[in-house]
Amino acid sequence: METRRPQAGEADAAMSGLELQRLCRHQAGRALLEDLSLQVAPGEVLALLGPSGCGKTTTLRLLAGLDPVSSGRILLNGREITAEPAGARQVAMVFQSYALYPHLTVVGNLELGLEVRGMPAAQRRDRIAAVIDLLQLQGLELRRPAQLSGGQRQRVALARALLRQPQLMLLDEPMSNLDAQLRDALRPELRQLLRGSGHPAIYVTHDQQEALGLADRIAVLHQGRLQQLGTPHALYHDPANLFVASFLGRPAINLLAAEAGRQLALRPEHLQLVSQGGLPVQLRQREWLGAQQLLWLESSRGPLKLLCGADQTLEEPLEVSWRVDRELWFDASSGERCRLGPL
Amino acid sequence: MRRPPHPLLLLGALLWSLLPLLWQLLTSLRTPEALVAPTPAAWLSGWTLANYRQVLLGQPPFWRYLLNSALVGGASTGLTLALAIPAAYGLQQQGLRLQRLITLLLLAAAKFPYVLLFLALLELARALGWGNQLLALAVPYAGLSLPLAVLLLRAALADLPPDLEDAARLEGLNLGQRLRRVLLPLLAPAIASTAILVFLFSWNEYPIALTWISRAELLTLPTAMARIAGSSVYAVPYGAYAAATVLGSLPLLALVLLFQRQIVSGLTQGSVRG
Amino acid sequence: MSLLLLAPALLLVGVVFLWPLLRYAWLSGHAASVLTGLVPLANGGANWQRLLSDGRFWQDTLQTLRFAGVSLSLELLLGLALALLLHQPLRQRGAVRAAVLLPWALPTTVMALGWRWLLNDPYGPLNRLIQGLGGSPYGFLSTPATTWLFTVLADVWKSTPFVALLLLAGLQTIPPELEEALLLEGAGPLQRLWRLTLPLLAPYLLLAALFRLAQALGVFDLIQVLTGGGPASSTESLGLYAYLNGMRFLDFGYSATVMLGMFLLVLLLTSGLLLLRRGWQGTLR
Repeated sequence: METRRPQAGEADAAMSGLELQRLCRHQAGRALLEDLSLQVAPGEVLALLGPSGCGKTTTLRLLAGLDPVSSGRILLNGREITAEPAGARQVAMVFQSYALYPHLTVVGNLELGLEVRGMPAAQRRDRIAAVIDLLQLQGLELRRPAQLSGGQRQRVALARALLRQPQLMLLDEPMSNLDAQLRDALRPELRQLLRGSGHPAIYVTHDQQEALGLADRIAVLHQGRLQQLGTPHALYHDPANLFVASFLGRPAINLLAAEAGRQLALRPEHLQLVSQGGLPVQLRQREWLGAQQLLWLESSRGPLKLLCGADQTLEEPLEVSWRVDRELWFDASSGERCRLGPL
Repeated sequence: MRRPPHPLLLLGALLWSLLPLLWQLLTSLRTPEALVAPTPAAWLSGWTLANYRQVLLGQPPFWRYLLNSALVGGASTGLTLALAIPAAYGLQQQGLRLQRLITLLLLAAAKFPYVLLFLALLELARALGWGNQLLALAVPYAGLSLPLAVLLLRAALADLPPDLEDAARLEGLNLGQRLRRVLLPLLAPAIASTAILVFLFSWNEYPIALTWISRAELLTLPTAMARIAGSSVYAVPYGAYAAATVLGSLPLLALVLLFQRQIVSGLTQGSVRG
Repeated sequence: MSLLLLAPALLLVGVVFLWPLLRYAWLSGHAASVLTGLVPLANGGANWQRLLSDGRFWQDTLQTLRFAGVSLSLELLLGLALALLLHQPLRQRGAVRAAVLLPWALPTTVMALGWRWLLNDPYGPLNRLIQGLGGSPYGFLSTPATTWLFTVLADVWKSTPFVALLLLAGLQTIPPELEEALLLEGAGPLQRLWRLTLPLLAPYLLLAALFRLAQALGVFDLIQVLTGGGPASSTESLGLYAYLNGMRFLDFGYSATVMLGMFLLVLLLTSGLLLLRRGWQGTLR
């Protein structure tokens, strides 16, 4: 940022964020990423979500310039960076493994990138001091990565990325090596940091909880293709296809036996127990989840899961019903959403 | 559940390894008369340092051979590393099929009984005028060491997390900077292993040194020792020879004591991982 | 770019390993000896015909095979014993390892001369011992029927550490729980060795055999200095014969032919071992 101030008339382009146009990556005859187009606004956090091998890490590596793009374009603040070498892009990345240099101290890790860019020592010191402050790394300056805890390493990796004042921040499952408690504690902190940077950030994860909690918008990828792009709320309540519907939400969505080429899906918390007029079911198992309980049911339309309050009492015979506007219908063969509702 | 071995077994193993060497030490301290004395009674007398004096004041003096070997060893090690480090990195970047092919060829070369090569290498030396050029030996020595060196270093490179180099690329380090600032420091243990193995090989190499070098003051240690023996097949001056053996072994003893860990890891990694 | 980094090393390896073989192939079709003033003159297959009917070549082949076979077997056995010993918890592990390693690190020629003194007739310590026990000195290096055994001894002494360390690395890859599980089932030490350790160590044994076989077939330094091939060529190896042809008889054409013959032998035996390994790996999968 400091290298160049936007000129008048250029302001829009300078702050336009990240844009991917029909990005593809093929390797050895296999399509790792097909035709991905999306935009990320400055200050926005976009999560790339999907199972392993879906193309999310591939996308990140294309953006970073670590792997070559097969076709398509990448624009960062109006400037095309598709073919720029990794080091020239002003893009920073936090790796899943953190990729801290094991032979260097915390300060050494932070300093190396600035040093090879030829930044004067005094300026380096100031910048490093600022980022050490920001991420509360005081006292750890002279330790080596092996002497840090997982959470501290993650902070150092984040510090190293922020230090460069990148125009785009990439995070590859940065919390997957941390225990659940630490993750819960770091999530809001990270969210604040990324929003505050004023630049687009892309966050790759396979953990939907993390994506739902951290991201402004989520892009769900599957087999190298974008399935749906939208806010967490939209993805959850209005999934575009069967994959998104069943990937998001835990316990997983109920899929009822198909009828007339169409399949009905219902979220477990949208089912209700009724005394009559519903679908008759038998109880198979009961699972306590603390505040709630999960019922495993068997019906004429297949097995169902139902989420209800922990103090709900069960009285035979059991029947289950739901509101019609909670029904999600999908084409049984393509998996695409049918907007028409029940026949 | 593993228990320490029986002390006698351990002692047996140590004696098997060290006794022949200790006998050399003993021999080096005896007068020629004591060595051929007919009765055990005479074994207790006749201690002397004369053998060492003779060897060290010989023409050329013995330390000259040690120096020659050290020079050749140093040059070969430097040349080998200078070629092997970039090669290991380059090999790591190749496609899988090419990588496997080259690895296989290097493995075959590393196992090759290199005594087979001396005649053609001698012709080469003559054609290039490299006979009796001490440091020229570093070229075939590097060539002979390279297969093992490249395999060792590549195995070590493959063990580094790939993210490290990616992170360095993202931070704008060019290839040279990445090698120097990130990869080489992390490869240091493997480089040390490789260096010590190459040095030992050059220090000990015989057939090529034998055919390339004929001038007495340029001989390396193994050829000099063999020449002492060859000059008098029926009556090797064993006392003086043993003194030379002890002197010639001391640097190696020091190396082995200092670097046994690196030697062992190099030996096993080089053969197991290739 | 990355090929460029690889090229200088590959080039030098090619010159050192590949060029000689090509050169020998060419030389073996030529007479290049003192008689021709070392100028190569094509002589058809004469060198190869000579090789086939050269009694000394075939005798040396047998002697080389005998040497390699016996020393390899002993090295594997002793190396396994030494590895098992070193695998136990040891105090001063580093010092013990260094002591065991030392014979391997010394120049072959140096220690070959050392052995000449140890085996000296009648002043060497071994003969002194025999005499002390009332025997008469034995010509360890002058009895054609047995001298080769002492070349084997010297080779075993020098090379066993290498085999032992390789096998030790193999032993260290075997999780101790496996042995503990077998122990709980009541297996004795020999059963554990035979049923668990050896099968899991087999790839390492083959690897050690592969490395040592090629080196043992190429034995040269040791023989040249310890016995000079004698007495009466009874310990001469192919490597030494090729050397003598080239450097003493100055017959480069025939020397090259002998080396190619030796190369084919090495190729044949090591690929045999490799096939064995492949077959064995096949059964494991």
